[in-house]
Parts: sequence; C-alpha cells; structure tokens
Amino acid sequence: MYTLTGVTKLYYEGRQTVLAVTGVDLVIGDGEWLAIQGRTGGGKTTLLNLLGGLDRPTSGSIELDGTSLGTLPETRLTALRAQSIGVIFQTFNLIPTLSAAENVETALIPMRASQVARRAWTTAALDAVGLVDRANHLPCELSGGQQQRAAIARALVKNPKVVLADEPTGNLDEDTREDIIGLLERLWRERGLTLVLVTHDTAIARRAQRVGVMSKGRLTITKDTEHPPAG
Amino acid sequence: MFFVTYLRRELRRRMRQAVLIALGLALGVGMVVTVAAASAGVRKAQSGVLSTLYGVGTDVTVTGPAEAPPAPGTQSPKNGQTLQIGPRGPEICTNGKCVSAAGHTVDQLFPPLIEPIRASKVAAVARLHDVAAAAGAIALTDNSLTIPKNSGAPQGNSDSFTVDAVDTAHTALGPMAAATITSGHSFTAADADADVAVVDSGYAISSGMKTGSAITIRQVRFTVIGIATQPQGTSPPDVYIPLARGQAIASATKAGGSLAGDVTLIYVAAASAADVPMVQHEISRLLPGDTVSAASSLASEVTGSLADAAKLANDLGKWVSVLALIAAFAIASLLTMAAVARRSAEFGTLKSLGWRTQRIIAQVLGESVAVGIAGAAAGVGLGFAGAAIIAKVAPTLSAAVASQDSGLPQTTRNAADVPYHAVLVPLSPSITIGVIELAVILALAGGLLAGALGAWRIARLQPADALAAVA
Repeated sequence: MYTLTGVTKLYYEGRQTVLAVTGVDLVIGDGEWLAIQGRTGGGKTTLLNLLGGLDRPTSGSIELDGTSLGTLPETRLTALRAQSIGVIFQTFNLIPTLSAAENVETALIPMRASQVARRAWTTAALDAVGLVDRANHLPCELSGGQQQRAAIARALVKNPKVVLADEPTGNLDEDTREDIIGLLERLWRERGLTLVLVTHDTAIARRAQRVGVMSKGRLTITKDTEHPPAG
Repeated sequence: MFFVTYLRRELRRRMRQAVLIALGLALGVGMVVTVAAASAGVRKAQSGVLSTLYGVGTDVTVTGPAEAPPAPGTQSPKNGQTLQIGPRGPEICTNGKCVSAAGHTVDQLFPPLIEPIRASKVAAVARLHDVAAAAGAIALTDNSLTIPKNSGAPQGNSDSFTVDAVDTAHTALGPMAAATITSGHSFTAADADADVAVVDSGYAISSGMKTGSAITIRQVRFTVIGIATQPQGTSPPDVYIPLARGQAIASATKAGGSLAGDVTLIYVAAASAADVPMVQHEISRLLPGDTVSAASSLASEVTGSLADAAKLANDLGKWVSVLALIAAFAIASLLTMAAVARRSAEFGTLKSLGWRTQRIIAQVLGESVAVGIAGAAAGVGLGFAGAAIIAKVAPTLSAAVASQDSGLPQTTRNAADVPYHAVLVPLSPSITIGVIELAVILALAGGLLAGALGAWRIARLQPADALAAVA
C-alpha cells in the first residue's frame, strides 16, 4: 500500500525552521492497522497529512500503490483523495449547516454519482455505523459520539483503500471512545481496510497490529504483531 | 441540488452578514438608480425645453449669416415701401415716390436681419447621406400701422404678430412638429399655395379668433383652418401660413425686397442620433457661409436651475454614486473574505474529501451571486423610492430660454440683444429598463467581485494549513 523512503517535512515559521518529520522510512501493507503514538508536536499529524496527500514532503518519497504522492499534480492528487483515501478528524469536521446524511454525501460529490446512488450509499454507510435514525439531524443536534460516527460514515462511504484517523477519540468520553474504536476495529476487519490511526491513548494503540512512536519527527516501530521481534 | 441546499443553508447560517452585504450593495445600487433616474428626468426636461427651440424631431437647424442693417441713406430695394415723416406729415414712399400716409395702413411682413437661404438648398440638404428629412421655413414678423386721416404725426393703430411660413408637406419637422391641433385641422400638402392659416391658441384667444375666422397678413386675407396648441414652456409664433405664400407676400427686409425662392431656416432630421455630428459636418460643407446648429450647441444656451440641476446630476451625482458603489463593493469583498477565512477548516475538510478547488470556489461564488441578486432587487426598490422622493420634494426647475419672436436659434443672435424668458419645468425622474438592467449588473458584479476575492483566498488554501487551524 504505502512505501515511505527518507520522508522529511520542514516548515518555515518566520525565521524558524521546524523539522516536523525527518527521515521516515516505512512500509504499510494492504489491510494493515498501524497506530502512531507520540507527544504533541512530535510529527504525528504531519505524517498523517503526508500519507493523505494533504501536504507534500520536503524531501523523500511517498508512494501509494506505486503512485508518488509528492510529485503528483494537484488535480490528480485531489482525485486520488476523492476515490481512495478516507480521513477522520479529532474534531469531527462536519459541515455545521448540513445534516448527518448530507455530510456523508459530501464525500460522494467528487464521484459525480447520481443523486439516487448517493442517497443509497449514504444510507448504507449510516447504517453501518448505526446512525440511520439520526440521518436528518444537524451536527449540533448530535452527541460527540454520534458526530464521530457520522464522520466515520463519511470516510467509509466511498469504499476507500485506506482510512487515516487523526485522534478519532480525542474529544470523546471514555465509554464513547470505546464504542468508536470498537466500530473502527469492526469495520477494519469486515472491509479489509488499511487503517492508520494516530492516538495518544496507549490502550487504543495496542489494539493495532503495529505501533509506531513519533518523537521529534522520527518514527520508531515499537510493536509489530505481524513481524514480532526475534527471540 | 446539493449545490443549492448547501448554498441556502450557508446563507441562512450567515444571515446577518448576508443581509449586511446585500444592504450595502442595495444602497450603492439604489444611489446609482436614483441618480440615473434624476439625470434622465433632467435630460427629459432639457430635451423638452430644447425641442421648443427648434421643434420636436429636429436634430440640426441651418440659418444664414446675420445681415448688417442698411446704412442711413441707403436706397430702398425695388418696390420697397418705407414710412417716413415728410414736410407734409407722414408719407409712404415706394421706389422714391412718396404720397401722404394719412388714412393708409402700412403693413410690413419681414424676417429677422439674416441672409436668406435659397430654397433649392433644402432639397440639397435632404439628399445628403444620413439625413432623414429637411424642411425650409421663414420666421416673419407682421407689423401694421394705420395712420389716421387727420393727424400731424403717425399716432394710428399698430399691431404686431409673428408668423411662421412652414413647409406644408413636412409639418412633422420644424415649428409645428410639437403642436396639437385643438380645433379644425392642420395644413395638408394641397394647402401649399392656399391663403389659409393655423393660429396659435394663445393668440386666438387674445384676438377672439376661431376656426373659420379671417386674418389679414400683409393685406392678404387668410382663412383660419385650425387652432394649434404648443407644449407648455414654448414660445410659438402667433400664426402659421404655407411657405409659398410667405415667400410671395413677405419682403426680404423692412424696407422691401423679395423672398421668392428663399427660406430663412432649414430644419433637418438625421437618420439617427449617432449621425448628427456627421450631418452637421456635411451641411457645413454644403453651405459654408451658413450657421449649422445642433442640440448640443443649443443645450449650453439654456440657463437657470434646470441647467444647474443637469450639472449637479451629471457631475456630483455621478461621483457620489460611484463612491457609494465602491464603498458597497469594498464592504461586500471584505465581509466575504472574512467569511472565507472563518470557514478555512470547512474548506480544508472538503479538500481532504477530494473536492476540487473549482467546486469549492463555485459554491462560494454561488453564495455571493445570491447575495448580489438580493442586493439588486433591494437596490432597484430603493432607487424607485429615491426617484419618488425626488419627484415629490424637488422644486420645479426653471430654464431661461431665448424668446422665439424671431424664430431663430440663439446661436445666430447677439446674446445681449436676445430677450430671455423663464420656462418652468417640473422634474420627473424616470427609471428606464436600461437603468434597472444596469442596477442588476452592478449588484451582481459586486457579488461576483466579493466572491472572486474569496475564491482567490480559497485557491491559495493548502488543506493541511486549513485543517491545522482547527487542531
């Protein structure tokens, strides 16, 4: 799925240069669940943005199924995001003026599907996350957990190859956190998704197949259930 | 439909801002519409006043150069008649032979002191390219003096009235063009050589005339076939007679001479307003010694509060409305850009979902255009209200216009000698379809400009940066 080679990302803030990601080499296989932990400012979200084509590396290469994200023209990168990459945000990022169903539908607009098809896929996605009965509610009428379910439905409605989740439970209480992670895990298994999840929560991270730690821009794999350490 | 749903919901969420932007656009557009309506009203009033100077439908007038008055002692033209005081009292002298004037009536019919133009030139003008029609006329004054039989000095009855000799085949051009026949009928082409007259309604009332009455002009008895009323504010001649009869009975000057085959004025209608300058130029080449005047040169002759209002509407009014529009556009643009900035995370999310930049821009432009349409509608409404207020509160304007006693355009006269009279003109602002279209276009342009600036901001937005604003 993903092959990262020597990926580095620099930001320039005034006179300061911030090394957000430095020299990351990483391979993420199809259907794998990789959790990335680390302190705030360690480069987790930056790495996720690079994987999602939301940002471009300063140096190094990121390939998704052989396509280099760093050199792809913007229009093709946008099309790739539309078809193959689902994103889940910590703050849900739902459009406040659209209902849950309409928010899910926003992910299908770039697909240029008919309205009938969009509505059908939307209903199926909401059903998968258990939110059909709240389909016509605005985000302000939904609880935090319900909003995140709607965001998960939005990420999955287009059957993406990969789902990138940035602290999906960061704004939720403990019980809801468990529900959401349980939901993500179920969908990961059922659909064979490639899931890259950023989290502070060690308990959540341990549920993944592989765990990496970002610290000062460097990624270290600390747990690899597919490739356990020798001995 | 998703586009419309998203647009509607977004405008509802930002209703206060949308209303503010629409109101700003409405004020700017309303100002433009009001000023345009007032300008149109002033132009209409001006054109009404100007049309009285040489007739409705006339674009260009031609007159001969002014003639110098004859020096004292100059011999009168052949058959010319003069009244003078001799040793035996008042005498009428013709070709040097004088007789007593007692008991006689001296009736003189003469044009103003300008050189006549050959009538054949009228046809030559009519044949020019871009000339729709041309008609000749003679503006005359009839002075009659009846000397009592027993007197030492002429203290008899005098009468004076103005006469326009008009082309009966072209009454739609020239001094009768704006007249309404209120009794009887106007001239027909068949009346070209007839001793018939149309009398102005004001003169008819003061003289006790009606259709069928008789009027003596230069000792010729004319039958009144119609009574004509000219628009308010004009200064029409007292009597109209056929051109050929005027040429036959009038003398070239007070002292005599003939006007056979001559006119003193040519009225010209151009094929279109755009052709007027070229027509003026062509006529000047054809008749190099004559004075060729168009409305634009006469407009500057009209003074008074109407002229001031025209200046106010054209200068100050124009700049005030331009400034109001600039302010409205600036407010709309700033508010839209601020709204786009506040929605950075939303647009970043849409980009992360695979929305193309153009699709997001189209959404923002759609919102701006919707606000622009609301601004246009409100602006037109405000414009109508402004025009109604002006019509209600604006004072009646006055235009100082040269008296029409000589029938000549002012440009041919010595300004110091010309008597002016004030014409009261009500100001009626009018909103045309063109102005409404302009208002709609301006409001939409304001909305599009605001949307375009917002779109520029969106185009520069990097998804990661936009999303970082939320994190």
